[in-house]
Amino acid sequence: MRRWWGTLVLLAVSAIVLVPIAYMVGTSFKSNQEITQDLHLLPHTWTFSNYDGLFKDSYFSQYFRNTFVVCGTSVLISLVFGSLAAYSLARFQLLMGLERKLGFGILTVRILPPVVLVVPLFLVALRLHLLDSWLGLILAYSAFNVSFVVWMMESFFREIPRDLEEASMVDGSSRMTAFRRVTLPLAAPGLVATAIFAVIVTYNEFLVALVLTSSPTSQTVPVGASTLITRIDIDWGAMSAAGTLAILPIVVFALIVQRHLVRGMTLGAIK
Amino acid sequence: MAASAAAYSTRRSRVQGAGLERALPYLLLAPALLLILAVVVYPLIYGVQQSFLNFRFGHAVGNVGLDNYRQLWSDPAFTQALWVTLKFVTLAVALETIFGLGLALLVASEVPFAKGARLIFIVPMIVTPIVVGIVFRLIYASDVGLLTTLRTDIFGSGQVFILDKGWSAFLGLVALDVWEWTPLMFLILLAGIQSLPVEPFEAARVDGAGSWRVFLDHTLPMLSPILAVAIALRTIDAFTTFDQVFVLTKGGPGTSTQLISIYGYNTAFKFDEFGYGTAMLLTVALMVLAFAAITVRLIRRQATA
Repeated sequence: MRRWWGTLVLLAVSAIVLVPIAYMVGTSFKSNQEITQDLHLLPHTWTFSNYDGLFKDSYFSQYFRNTFVVCGTSVLISLVFGSLAAYSLARFQLLMGLERKLGFGILTVRILPPVVLVVPLFLVALRLHLLDSWLGLILAYSAFNVSFVVWMMESFFREIPRDLEEASMVDGSSRMTAFRRVTLPLAAPGLVATAIFAVIVTYNEFLVALVLTSSPTSQTVPVGASTLITRIDIDWGAMSAAGTLAILPIVVFALIVQRHLVRGMTLGAIK
Repeated sequence: MAASAAAYSTRRSRVQGAGLERALPYLLLAPALLLILAVVVYPLIYGVQQSFLNFRFGHAVGNVGLDNYRQLWSDPAFTQALWVTLKFVTLAVALETIFGLGLALLVASEVPFAKGARLIFIVPMIVTPIVVGIVFRLIYASDVGLLTTLRTDIFGSGQVFILDKGWSAFLGLVALDVWEWTPLMFLILLAGIQSLPVEPFEAARVDGAGSWRVFLDHTLPMLSPILAVAIALRTIDAFTTFDQVFVLTKGGPGTSTQLISIYGYNTAFKFDEFGYGTAMLLTVALMVLAFAAITVRLIRRQATA
């Protein structure tokens, strides 16, 4: 009996989670007339006119292209740079206990709220002519992600016994070969979890992109959607369609990789 | 001659190899460090410099020393924003902790549908924050919103106004944050509960303790380190909430939902006061880092005690 009571609570909470999103998706398929005159969760007659309008009048396909390029490149860069640095911090003793101090410093970067960085970042990018470009965004996101990758991967590398690498090195392979052939494959699940989290955070990032971009040639999906809704304000159909389109890729991605999600989402608080 | 040259060259390559071996840890670190230095550390230092300047129409017109930092505390909009932020963080994180803990305890006891619920609960954390803002605008809109729709369906008529009044807009923002982030609390605490040892619970059950007693005497004390981590993580994040407010209310009506990040952003980018804005946001960063340092120390002390 108590078990069913628990299930009932879970069902109720699931409804609270899903109904708001369903309402947005439903509204995106309603005509404007139906939205304002006939209040229901799901449309009576489904229409794609809101989506047609989005792709005709606005730059949504460009926003998507920008997001995919920027997100993909910066996550890749941060994974490579971050794993190498994490391996160094996890395996070597550096001068003056540098490995601990750096680890702590990188954690501080991780905690630093992005809103603090955007003003100086904007001023620096302005001077270097990096505003409104892919490169500016890629550099910014790579740096933010790298601190996260180092933080996560260091703990994964520490869990892998040194003996395995050393055995491979006794057999004549160099340190880097041992890293590539032995350590990295063993750390692969960690790398996957880290990559997934980095993709989600970067895809969803808004503030830095808002400040560093100003035209559809480089604006990402969240920035594009936000400028759109400021412009149209009460066109609820278009707003819902923009929101639905914006989350479609990332929700599909998350559902595909959901098995690996939890550790990354909780910032390594859970092992 | 040739033999000694060969010996020399192998010795040299070995020496070089040893040099490379010694430099390797630093070479591995270099790309990541350079990136962080260029994109985080350098702009921060530059930002500190800018925070001593006075800007007019987006151009620096003079060095004013610490004036920007002093001005903060006589700026009613700043203290108001700080107060709104503190209220928002306290209320939102408290609710998220209570709901997250409750749900985690429920799911940990393996009721039917626990797995499916766990999957569904991840969704709000993945949805793009500005879209969460859109979703809640659609809920709160007094003419076409979900709340108005529900009220019409149940009572036949009547609009629901949320974003028109200060206090209800504020609570509406808290509700948004609770919807979005209770799942994170839930996930962390669920993992915490599942990692607890089984023996104390079995012993308590043998002694005939009720479930509320077991929770207070065993679950809560053993869970408190991870509870502290979860609360700290959420507090740090909630303190600089921006995207959702930017879409939902832009800080209004009046200043009732103007969080410190929104006020800082407006100061810098709407009013082009880059110096004052930077001073404000750096002050906020110091508060967040100080909070983080204190919690880390507390958690460590608790873990060693």
